[in-house]
Amino acid sequence: MLLVERGSFPGSKNVFGGRIYTYALKRLLGDAWKDAPVERFIRKEGITFMSNDSAFTLEYEVKDPEQSFSAVRAKFDKWLAEQAEKAGAQVITDSLVDDLIVENGQVKGIIAGEDKIPTDAVIACDGTTTGLARKAGLVKMLEPQQISIGMKDVIEISPATIEERFGVDQGEGAAHVFAGSCTDGLRGGGFLYTNKDSIALGLVVGGDDVSIQAKPSHSLLDRLRAHPKVQRLIKGGKNREYNAHMIPEAGPRMLTRPFTGGMLVAGDAAGHLLNNGYTFRGVDMAMIAGMAAATTILDAKKTKDYSAGNLQSYETRLRKDPALKDMYTFSKVPSYLRNRRLYGVYPEIVCSAAEAVYRVDGTGKKKIYKEMRAQTKGKVSTLTLVRDLLAGARTF
Amino acid sequence: MSQEGKLTLDKRLALVSFTKDPRPFITVETELCKECEKKPCLYICPAGVYTWQDQLNYNTEGCLETGACLVVCHKIGAKAIHWKYPAGGKGVSFRQG
Repeated sequence: MLLVERGSFPGSKNVFGGRIYTYALKRLLGDAWKDAPVERFIRKEGITFMSNDSAFTLEYEVKDPEQSFSAVRAKFDKWLAEQAEKAGAQVITDSLVDDLIVENGQVKGIIAGEDKIPTDAVIACDGTTTGLARKAGLVKMLEPQQISIGMKDVIEISPATIEERFGVDQGEGAAHVFAGSCTDGLRGGGFLYTNKDSIALGLVVGGDDVSIQAKPSHSLLDRLRAHPKVQRLIKGGKNREYNAHMIPEAGPRMLTRPFTGGMLVAGDAAGHLLNNGYTFRGVDMAMIAGMAAATTILDAKKTKDYSAGNLQSYETRLRKDPALKDMYTFSKVPSYLRNRRLYGVYPEIVCSAAEAVYRVDGTGKKKIYKEMRAQTKGKVSTLTLVRDLLAGARTF
Repeated sequence: MSQEGKLTLDKRLALVSFTKDPRPFITVETELCKECEKKPCLYICPAGVYTWQDQLNYNTEGCLETGACLVVCHKIGAKAIHWKYPAGGKGVSFRQG
């Protein structure tokens, strides 16, 4: 078992928003998950609808913060690779897999620089760029609407300040998403995760939207950062790093199939991701898919038959897994989330309605329902609003 | 309110650790870019690798290796970008991903 990593250590090339759902790690390691380099267990889940100068926030305090935690990939992935090493895997770093050795449609090995390494089976986890899956003919070049571009600032802030500012106990943290003015009407949104002594503040925007609307992706992160609510959260912080990642928004339908003779595809490279607008899941999906891939290969090892026909049980495992099933349950979400009103007019309505409801200036007030109707007027027709709501109810 | 630690892209990239790959892992057929109407690479790249001044200019030294430029160039742009990851151990090295 060889783990080939192109970076100088596992995690050095990896970027995510910030959160891992614990169940996957528990399934993989049992009680040993407790040694994982956790930043903070997430106590508070928040969503903010923002206009340029106001914000409407919903917040939920979860019962069991241990269900998810913020993490830093340079620490977490490094640790996870060490666990693989302990279990007998050999980790090779600084090595880019350039190509596959293919014989009669069967993947027989990998090519990394000068090295040609024969394999029984390959698990391609090379990210959204899907280089190996493309070489194996499982996907053509992705479409811009199938991807998003994400970027984030990591901002140093003392643990005590984080706990005070976000109203959490020691070792606990917050996860937050932002919709509205930060993306300037484009498909996407902001996110924030609290680490031990830093805040990960980022933004994700649709690949087609940002290209066609001709707005530099990083300028939207500036918009998020400049918002008064965000400014108050990151006040006094020192910038530690900026990083970015391409996200396979289309989900598992991205590949025609996640396997071929001698090779399985897992993680971002196979679209193992779920963004349903309020939770973003990638790492847990990738870990479960990795386990399904391992089980499939161990099964195939019994008969030494690594043909596509024998590896196709991988896809069945993915579809049947109670955790990964969510990707298929929410398979219509990406197309629903293409509705631009979700990023422009709706957050604006929420904010202006809240402003109208809470504003007392002696000029007389309407009842809430009338106020809401007044706020939607001219911005969106009742029919469109009802249609979007019903479609939402069917999708989520 | 004064903006808390306003960041330019240059300042952001100065925070990132890179090991230069002497071989060009991105090459662009910039002649094709002259005919490109949308120039999506200018907007999608979170590192501002691509800029336009009379012609397409690119500087791979700040590349964060998302690969998004390749997708938009081939589907919206002029199919001018050739992209692969830098050699093993080269390129960006994230500490806070």
